[in-house]
Amino acid sequence: MPIPVTIADDSALSRKTIKRALPEDWDITIHEAKNGVEALDAVHAGLAEVLFLDLQMPQMDGFEVLKELQQEHQKTIVIVISADIQPAAQALVSSMGAFRFLQKPLKADQLRETLLDVGLL
Amino acid sequence: MIEINEDERDALQEIMNISMGQAADALARLIQTKVSLSIPAIQAMSPEDFQGMINSLSNNWFARQSFTGTIRGEVIMSMHKDGCNALAQVMDFDLPLDEAATEELVLEITNILSAACLQGFTSQLELSTQLNMPAFYYPVQSAHSNEWSSILIIEVEFFIEQMQFDARILIGLSEGSIEQLLIPIKALLED
Repeated sequence: MPIPVTIADDSALSRKTIKRALPEDWDITIHEAKNGVEALDAVHAGLAEVLFLDLQMPQMDGFEVLKELQQEHQKTIVIVISADIQPAAQALVSSMGAFRFLQKPLKADQLRETLLDVGLL
Repeated sequence: MIEINEDERDALQEIMNISMGQAADALARLIQTKVSLSIPAIQAMSPEDFQGMINSLSNNWFARQSFTGTIRGEVIMSMHKDGCNALAQVMDFDLPLDEAATEELVLEITNILSAACLQGFTSQLELSTQLNMPAFYYPVQSAHSNEWSSILIIEVEFFIEQMQFDARILIGLSEGSIEQLLIPIKALLED
């Protein structure tokens, strides 16, 4: 069974960059979300066993998504991919239940390593 | 005026967002404090509108730093005067700041932010540029380059809440450079 994966980022370029960086041998279905509300909808619809989450998004940002997922006790594996690379943001998202934090611009080898590390590959 | 479409604007905004994130991180490490950023605003303007915008920031210090290479332009840093003392303190300057120390502070911050930011977007777009030395300046006394018939402005604000520090970075690109910048952006947008 392919794993349902959602990419949540308001930037079309960024979603494209993430899609390009995904390992070719990873059996997944990809759904895209343009903001936090769409990301949560995807989780509720069962489309996000894995969620690649940007932090800075309109309507509902990544921090709010993490908070909501925590409150709902969702089992989604969240990997934050953010341009805010300051230690404060990294510490905050990991305290909010994110599995990993990856810096933009996303590198394919780093993503692969992270997926192996989390046990998804 | 320069025409850029929605996809190109989105791409440029995202690339600048990543670059400014690197610049904010460089500053945050220096002062050991979290630095917040606005979402990059991108707009094309005439030199007159640009001058008007600069003139409206009357309570700010300014520095400019030009860059040359595949694309040419200028990074302009505008820093609110009120935040300087607090920033100077964490950077081990003697207070109160005299004129020379103020210039030194503004130039140092400009250099850190513009180097990280320029490095960020040139590496993402695989462009080659060289940054020149920053210079302190007074906008009323020095008009910007007249050769620019139209300018693309990328504006980002930096905030440090505990310090009431407020700075903004403007990147002005000349018209020929915008075309150069759009070549790798169009390539990134292709499937």
